[in-house]
Amino acid sequence: MQKDQRLLDLAALLLKAAEPVSWREIQEQFRDDYAGRGEAAIRKFERDKADLLELGIPVRWVAGDEDLPAGYLIEKDEFYLPDLKLPPEDLALLYVAGSAALANGTFPYARDLAHALNKLSFAARAPGASEAAAAATRQLSSTDGAEGHEAIAARVEELSRAMAHKKRVHLVYLGAERRERTERDVDPYGLFQQGGAWYAVGWCHMRKAIRTFHLARVESLAVNPAAPRTPDFASRKDFHLADHATRETWEYAHHPPVRCRVRLHAPLSTEVVASFGGRAKVEEEGGGAVVEVEATNAEGLLRHVLGLGDRAEVLAPRDLRARARDVLGRLAKGLA
Amino acid sequence: MTARRAAKPRRPKAPRTEGSPARKDPRERLRRILFLVPYAVRHPGIPVRELSRRCGCTEKELLEDLDFLLGVGSPPFAPDDFLDVYVEGDRVYVALHQSFSRPPRFTESEAAALAAAARALGGEGRDRAVKALRDSVPRDRRASFDELVQRIYAGAPPARDSVLGRLERAVAERRAVRIAHHSASREAEVERIVHPWTLAQRFGHWYLYGLDPARGRALAFRLDRVRECTVTDERFDAPGEADLARARLFSEPEGDPVKVRVGPTAAAWAVSRPGLRLVKRERGGRVVVEAPGAPAEWTMRFALSLGGDAEVIAPAAARRHFAELVRRTLDRYA
Repeated sequence: MQKDQRLLDLAALLLKAAEPVSWREIQEQFRDDYAGRGEAAIRKFERDKADLLELGIPVRWVAGDEDLPAGYLIEKDEFYLPDLKLPPEDLALLYVAGSAALANGTFPYARDLAHALNKLSFAARAPGASEAAAAATRQLSSTDGAEGHEAIAARVEELSRAMAHKKRVHLVYLGAERRERTERDVDPYGLFQQGGAWYAVGWCHMRKAIRTFHLARVESLAVNPAAPRTPDFASRKDFHLADHATRETWEYAHHPPVRCRVRLHAPLSTEVVASFGGRAKVEEEGGGAVVEVEATNAEGLLRHVLGLGDRAEVLAPRDLRARARDVLGRLAKGLA
Repeated sequence: MTARRAAKPRRPKAPRTEGSPARKDPRERLRRILFLVPYAVRHPGIPVRELSRRCGCTEKELLEDLDFLLGVGSPPFAPDDFLDVYVEGDRVYVALHQSFSRPPRFTESEAAALAAAARALGGEGRDRAVKALRDSVPRDRRASFDELVQRIYAGAPPARDSVLGRLERAVAERRAVRIAHHSASREAEVERIVHPWTLAQRFGHWYLYGLDPARGRALAFRLDRVRECTVTDERFDAPGEADLARARLFSEPEGDPVKVRVGPTAAAWAVSRPGLRLVKRERGGRVVVEAPGAPAEWTMRFALSLGGDAEVIAPAAARRHFAELVRRTLDRYA
């Protein structure tokens, strides 16, 4: 019998049963699948149980007592998706956030996310307006046909699986500024999104350190095919994804820390202030503000400030201000 | 249970076709089936097309799934022990659901993906929603959920939780909001009444999208420019299908898109940036890129952000504007 049919049959049997179903009875009902007394039949059944659990269907073993025989069962309360009992605004959050993530085309566990959004209609009493809003979100956020999207989506999906099963991956990676192509093994610890782009963070076996990889520059990726259910690495307790994901470009470790000050000219917008991140000190001043950050990659800060155009200027350190003037002066000369 | 599977012949099934979903990914098909049966139970007579759209598959795949279901049931496999899902007049009905009347709980990856998306948008109910998702995962898998959800960071919320929470409530209850918003075109904060149809995300930015009754048209407002939001008592009707069909976050750009030449140092970085399209590669590792659909102002600031390694080359008017922007910025350093 085909495996998918066997799994559904098994689930139907255990869902319908009024009391636990013994191993012997399961063997009798699935003679062609779990026949024999050996370990092989048990192992096959255990694999099926694991597959059902991966589908969200927990099969439990119940030790017998004076009221119930020993056997396997699926508790209905543990099987059926419950009502989340969330207020309408929280449902709107789930519908809209999930739909935008899906429509963007690149999100970890994208297929799972699509299933989750479908199931959500069963986990909410009256999703009404939120479901309609989600349809609009999908249309507005859609990046259908965007160049290179499918390749990145596939890498995000592969890395998601590798991360969940703790499998090592082999990357061919194109560095950004040095433009060198390298091959390396990486233990993927996490995925993060910044400015619409996805990055993987993990232990790089070539550099013997934790490194971040821009997924658009991953030229090829292969998950270690050996022993797919056996992890290749263990979780690190000292790893915190937020430390990497919320790092600003001027916080990359290129040189010793330097205090930098930037003036933001009036009128001040929340968006420009927020672009300096949560660790920046902001002092409002005459409709504008002065922002202070600690940079370990001053060039990154310079680029950020230049990208704000005439809304911002580097105040300190002096050499960074001089560099900004030099860059703009050369550009102006070339454009004259 | 005394009857044996072997004693009851299964119902005949149509032969499998090449490339059927079962061959692509059997687990994916099972997950689809575990949703489609309860969904059809809840919506008797749902058209095949609508059900396939809900399930994210083609009509052909859906019909193959229904065909596959003809052989699914539980021992002792009497006629009433099979799932009975049938199509009549292009509509789907379920006669016997065999306890598949609701979908199973969220798997840890389903719940973790949804939780990661919710945490990136934010709102006062974010933690409540994440907890509810966790509680909806089978007990044995909650530790895996906890681990997975820590492994995905989809971005920081675009505004204060209180602002987002009010917007989410207004979307759910179809109530108008009053927002204090920084207008990039006016370089000033403005107040507006908006009927919030939804929130949407493009190129890493979140937008409030809805009708501005004062201007009589639907508009997008960047959420990181919304400083304050108040939910009013005014209710609005759901937007019509025609309104939604016309919905766009950005107005169609006029004329040719702005083209930027990027030097060899920043080329790889520019090409991998979402929203940018490679126009051509040039000698010496230089590239020309454009940002289809993005405002010209955005593209110019992008060129500036490459630290002198990029310049706007076309159209001529955009190059003039870029030169003015460079001069104005340079004046700050006088």
